[in-house]
Amino acid sequence: MKIGNIDVKISIISILVFVFFTIVLILASVFTPEVRSNLIWMIPALFMLLVIPVALNYMSRKQYADLEPEYERQAKTVRVRLINENMIGKIVRIEGVVERVHFQFLNRPQYSIADRSGAISCKMFTSPDEDIKVNDIVEVLGQVIRRYIVSGEPVINCVSIRKKES
Amino acid sequence: MNKINPRYLELAIPVLSFGAPLAGVLAWRAGYEISFQYFAFGCLIGSVLLAYLAWIRPRKDIVALSTPLYAFIFFVVPTDYASGLVLQLLYALSLTLLLLRLKYRFGDPHTTVSSGKELAATMKEYADRTRDRVRASSIDGHRAAVVVSRFAMGDFAEAARAADGQPADEASLARAFSIVSEHATVLDRSLPRPDPFLDFLPEDSALLALPPTPGVSDEKRFDTALDNALLLLFTAAWNSSPADRPHLLACQGFLGKLLGG
Repeated sequence: MKIGNIDVKISIISILVFVFFTIVLILASVFTPEVRSNLIWMIPALFMLLVIPVALNYMSRKQYADLEPEYERQAKTVRVRLINENMIGKIVRIEGVVERVHFQFLNRPQYSIADRSGAISCKMFTSPDEDIKVNDIVEVLGQVIRRYIVSGEPVINCVSIRKKES
Repeated sequence: MNKINPRYLELAIPVLSFGAPLAGVLAWRAGYEISFQYFAFGCLIGSVLLAYLAWIRPRKDIVALSTPLYAFIFFVVPTDYASGLVLQLLYALSLTLLLLRLKYRFGDPHTTVSSGKELAATMKEYADRTRDRVRASSIDGHRAAVVVSRFAMGDFAEAARAADGQPADEASLARAFSIVSEHATVLDRSLPRPDPFLDFLPEDSALLALPPTPGVSDEKRFDTALDNALLLLFTAAWNSSPADRPHLLACQGFLGKLLGG
């Protein structure tokens, strides 16, 4: 679904939650007549289960899209092995192969990207523009952060991940 | 706590977490009907030990780190015999599985975690080995420290500027400065690998931390030249400019990664 220039994606979890409560509401209305008088607020509340995730996804993707040109301008292309804890806060660009993808179904994907020098975890806090799969060759733009904000090894807070021609 | 062998702590987790509820069962059978909640102490201590084992690893496992909190939440409420026993045994099983996960997915606790106050053993061995062979003036030593520090921080333009100064007296060191300068410029401007690129000469090989491997690709040779140059500048700085050692210690995680191959 497109809102303006932003391609909004809703996670499968949000859809499943919506479907589950829709079924609950239908069954409750059929078998318990007193529920029907509350449908006037239950049905809008049900749709809010879809509207809120869509709105949040739109806002996060818009913010990421706004950040991307600035990151593009500032980023230094580095090899994975050069990324270290002294570089926390630096904006970097890496190129590599996607080794693993986690949490894509939550719209919070986490990729393990490897180049010839090593591998690093790239966390994204919104859905990416493209559908990224294992073995894709990608270019990642992001900021070096610690895995748990104040501790843990350096990872990349990914602002953009794009497939590259192999 | 540092002197306790982590293997004993690993063993203590299932022993305590399964042992305490089993001791509770024996106590009840013997007629001592103490509140079964108290036998959760084994799970609580097991959780604290698991969190400690997670803490001492270089890669932190947030799930293992948070188990004491879960132990508190699960066991703060009094429970009767049957439900308390089931809960404690399931919790003990979870702790054991988390311990296995920690061991196999989060590395070895013996991996050196730099306290930032002393040099790791591998770095110290390299610095000692090359101490008499890399004779740098204190000026070159300080410049080497600045280059290493700036490079580790990702300030590539400044690293290139610092490396581009007056040539060092020692020929290998001068080559190391030039190599880092070339790489820092490439990184700062996001340029492709130059062809030809700067590399060490065969006579430098005794000084290098990572001996050159014949037959490797140009890409690999290019990367290894940088690793060797940064490590050579590190040892020059460490041995010639003691005032800069705190800055070098702050970068040793990065340098240790290069030295580790």
